[in-house]
Amino acid sequence: MTVIERATLIGKRVPKMDAPEKASGKTRYIHDIDVSGQLWGKILRSARVHARIRRIDTSRAKALPGVHVVLTAADVPDQRPIGVNKDHPALKGDKVRCVRDEIAAVAADTEAIAQAALALIEVEYEDLPVIADPEAALAPGAPVINEKHADNVAMRFDYAHGDVAQGEAESDVVVEDSFKLHYVTHCCMGVSGVIAEFDASGNLLLHSNTQVPFLHKREFAEILGIDPGRIRIVQPPIGGGFGSKLDIYPFEIIAVYLARAARRPVKLVYTREEEFLASPTRQPVILRLRSGCRKDGSLTFRSVETLHDNGAYTSWGATTPFVMMQTFSSLYRVPHCKYHTTVAYTNNPYAGSFRGYGNLQATFAVESHMDKLAEAVGMDPLAFRLRNAQDPGEVTGQGMTFKSCGFKDCLRSAAERSGFLARHAEYRAAQGAGGRVKRGIGIASMLHVGGGACGTILKLDDFAHVTLMTGASEIGQGSETVLAQLVCEELGLPLSAVTVVNNDTDITPWDVGVHASRTTFIAGNSAIGAARKAKAKILAAAAKKTGVPEGELDLVGGFVVRAASGEAIVELAKLLRGLHFSDKAELVMTTHYYEPPSVHQDKGFKGDVSAAYAWATQVVEVEVDLDTGIVKMTKVTGAHDVGRVINRLGIEGQIEGGVVMGQGYALTENLVIEDGRVKNPSFRDYKLVTAPEIPEMDLAFIETMDGEGPQGAKGVGEAPAICIAAATANAICNATGVRIYELPFTPEKVYRALKGVAPKVAWRTRAAA
Amino acid sequence: MPDAGALERYAAPRALAEALELLRDGDATIVAGGTDLMPQSHSGKARFGSLLLNIRRIAELGGIALEGDTVRIGALTSISALLASPLVRERLSILAQAADQFASEQVRNAATIGGNVCNASPAGDTLVPLIVLDAAVELAAKAGGGIETRTLPLQDFLTGPGRTQRRPHELMTAVRVPLPPAGFVARFYKHGTRPALDISTISLGIGGVRRGDRLERVRVAFGAVAPTPIRARAAEALIEGRALDAAAIEAAAEAAHDEVRPISDVRASDWYRQELVRNMTRRVLAHVAFG
Amino acid sequence: MSRSVEIEFRLNGVVRRAAVRADMSALAMLRDVLGLTGTKYGCGEGECGACTILVDGASLNACLLFAVDCDGREVTTIEGLANDPAAQRLQRAFAEHGAVQCGFCTPGMVLQAGRILARAGQPDRATIQRGLEGNLCRCTGYKKIIDAVEAAAKERAA
Repeated sequence: MTVIERATLIGKRVPKMDAPEKASGKTRYIHDIDVSGQLWGKILRSARVHARIRRIDTSRAKALPGVHVVLTAADVPDQRPIGVNKDHPALKGDKVRCVRDEIAAVAADTEAIAQAALALIEVEYEDLPVIADPEAALAPGAPVINEKHADNVAMRFDYAHGDVAQGEAESDVVVEDSFKLHYVTHCCMGVSGVIAEFDASGNLLLHSNTQVPFLHKREFAEILGIDPGRIRIVQPPIGGGFGSKLDIYPFEIIAVYLARAARRPVKLVYTREEEFLASPTRQPVILRLRSGCRKDGSLTFRSVETLHDNGAYTSWGATTPFVMMQTFSSLYRVPHCKYHTTVAYTNNPYAGSFRGYGNLQATFAVESHMDKLAEAVGMDPLAFRLRNAQDPGEVTGQGMTFKSCGFKDCLRSAAERSGFLARHAEYRAAQGAGGRVKRGIGIASMLHVGGGACGTILKLDDFAHVTLMTGASEIGQGSETVLAQLVCEELGLPLSAVTVVNNDTDITPWDVGVHASRTTFIAGNSAIGAARKAKAKILAAAAKKTGVPEGELDLVGGFVVRAASGEAIVELAKLLRGLHFSDKAELVMTTHYYEPPSVHQDKGFKGDVSAAYAWATQVVEVEVDLDTGIVKMTKVTGAHDVGRVINRLGIEGQIEGGVVMGQGYALTENLVIEDGRVKNPSFRDYKLVTAPEIPEMDLAFIETMDGEGPQGAKGVGEAPAICIAAATANAICNATGVRIYELPFTPEKVYRALKGVAPKVAWRTRAAA
Repeated sequence: MPDAGALERYAAPRALAEALELLRDGDATIVAGGTDLMPQSHSGKARFGSLLLNIRRIAELGGIALEGDTVRIGALTSISALLASPLVRERLSILAQAADQFASEQVRNAATIGGNVCNASPAGDTLVPLIVLDAAVELAAKAGGGIETRTLPLQDFLTGPGRTQRRPHELMTAVRVPLPPAGFVARFYKHGTRPALDISTISLGIGGVRRGDRLERVRVAFGAVAPTPIRARAAEALIEGRALDAAAIEAAAEAAHDEVRPISDVRASDWYRQELVRNMTRRVLAHVAFG
Repeated sequence: MSRSVEIEFRLNGVVRRAAVRADMSALAMLRDVLGLTGTKYGCGEGECGACTILVDGASLNACLLFAVDCDGREVTTIEGLANDPAAQRLQRAFAEHGAVQCGFCTPGMVLQAGRILARAGQPDRATIQRGLEGNLCRCTGYKKIIDAVEAAAKERAA
């Protein structure tokens, strides 16, 4: 008897399936693809921040040899505004509101000709007053930026549970501070690009880097006024996402307009400078937080007001309060909580979605206050947090139900492995001692959601090779490997037996897109569902053929085996061929659509919005140079409740990358905007973290085996970036006794704070005014 | 795509004389490593002349050699070659320190010392150590039949951001560095959060000959605090020949703070640059004085 | 517009002729004229290393190099390493150690890592980190890239 050994890939270090292609330079990104007959598109952006366009003359550009099409808003009268508020026309006609505003576009034979043509377009502007500050935008009589919003308010959010007045009355300690969070941007290594082409029947094919192809398809259909079925989106491998490709942007629509007008394919790729000027940013926030607790350390209330600089148009950044309020209301047990946000139009760049989606900002403020409150009641930062941390089974004031929750384990694990308590006490005691370099340690935690729905089609060919068609895009995070692993686990096949197709809307089933740390959880469950259906079909056929009851069969190592003994009964490929070529000619092809058991929020933003919630605690250690203000991040200890580890190599990579992105947010990255203009649109002055700067990283996984998760897993993609800045703030304070309320902790900002010459962030909320 | 402007011709001569003749004909843009010129031409900061003159194939412009008491560093010497040179590492160690903090390996392999000097950035990484070392710039030109050379102190050669005393028909051929006397110690400091790949917020170099607790022939130089790298003469005067204790070091640091006039830009404010000048002068001077 | 210049050089072991504009970068030549797209455009100013190539054995940013300056030299791109055992060792180590995510920086990383290993037999982590300081990666946080280079060095020594 041949016994087939059962082997699992779950929890192993599985190399990414696409890594060999990528490491050998063979992978073709959007920049590497050329289409026969293709023209090059280029966009003319506004030279002014806020102005009326008096006149645009494109005649000289049109006359340049090699130029096929020059478009302005006047040439596309059928424009439909895009964006979350539908306030954003791709080509701006009478008015520009932001330096990134697109006012004309060229399609030409070469990139150089297109560029030269831009220089020949004459634009006459009439300047309007620039509103570069959201507070000024809300002042009575402020110039109106978007005509449909005369009060310059793009959105408002109000949330409450309990009664904060009562909570305050019950408090022994109350603290209140303002915090200021800055602009950063995604800096995907591959710049943005798109290729648009129409076939002879007018069907649109887009080669696109979008993270949300099915939402895009619908939106482009509306923009072009055609049936969505006539639009196909193909996604080449993407040079980084991080949330940046979640919205539809003017350049994509402009490429489509150019292709439509030229009746030729049009490729449009950004320069790095353009990428800095015209990509979305992380949402900048001014935040006022008032919190209280009792002497025993229990939190009593939290009252938050934030002001979001929306920029000139509304993209996903405006909706980050959805995620921020979850941290305010539910990271810790807070009996009374109130949150108000105003999102104000300005002439600044607009914010989009960015890994963490508002949570970095909210966590920065909340965790700074957790340290301050702990200090005020004489508790150590760990005990104070454990006193207020959520437990499994808890239902929060916002209606979230934590079916699995490893928060306290995360806190204990990260603290223990980093020696947090002893170091915290030691560094604190050394604050007044000599030496120009001070060491500090800080702790912070986070809660994050994940959601959406996803479909899978799975087929097995007559050699038992599986093709998994999923709507979940691969954006470098390794989702295709994880999905293949989950399918292999169900079907008892090696990874080499699986091909994942995830990049063509004509093939893959519907998916809401890659975001919200959702792919492993949602697409994973969908893939498992399809694989289980396939397995049931195969075992039923095997039972019929062999006479062994279905319940006693299993799939292992490419064979149908007796489940109890592992004895091989029939080779899977052979069984499948038998099915294909029998009289009934059956194919094994299944579909599964997974919709998580979460609910939509009610009007008060309450409800169990996520099927599972991810938790993490991170401890950051720093050295602060008192002579220069340079903060060196020396070590990060992370404990992550990920449900279950599916691919250890992949999840470590996600977390390490997120930690370093968080390090950049905390210490080095700063998109400087002055009077609406980006002052540092290059890697020379926008500082990403480089290899020599990374901290030592020690990661632990808390496996809470979420009942709803695929193999028990939960989402993790966004989590690691979220607490780093907050923990760094606490570490700097531990090192120096100085708390800084504003990011990033660049050397000059830290030095000023240490010298006591930095003005403390002060924001008088409307409520307080 | 950069605007190629008036660019019509390209030449890559192998002999210095040929290059000088081409320069004499006028309107040439000189390229060696290309690491400054390429991005400057992309951003429109630099416009090409009618001739792109690639000097990288001129053997006479390479090499690091000891000529008597002077180290002659050919203008084409790459930053990597500086780092690899035992002569530079052992005798001109402050220059090796700066070379180590220069951009990245890819850039160090291409960038040349001649390019760094002629680009005349206030933050140019090799300039501060070269000033501490009393370096001079060797220029050649073809006038009439032969090649004429002249040598200028580096300090005089640099006249402003991107501006030098090089005449349009001249080519910088070498940096000449007198061998420092025995007992000479020097240190370089570049402010930034990265080990290299950073444009300095400020840089500083301090050198001197150590005699007991005193420093003689003191040089204190700063980058990125003025239109050109500068010497801090007041600070130097307070150190020269004096016994260095904490108070003397503090006085020199204060003097340096007071004599620099930096600007504010996207990288740092003038105030912060001045603070750094004081604090790091204090720290680096202590290193130089006490090892 | 400048006239084009005829150059001849050895590209990945094979002599090539090309006509290039005098102001063109080697990166544009490789990608747009010669169709070798493994060398990536990341910034165009030598800050990100995605366009790292080898010229006469030294690593350079192709975006800072004038294409005309390739004349008479030996240029190696990621495509030229397909049969190079040391590069294959690195590429395998990159995959096995999770050093690849979106992969856009990876060809440049592999080329630069190859130079680090060629120079130092058993570089320590700090040396590897400094060696990669000119190569930006937004996905991995670098740790797994450093792991991969370290592992490739060990494998070679074994």
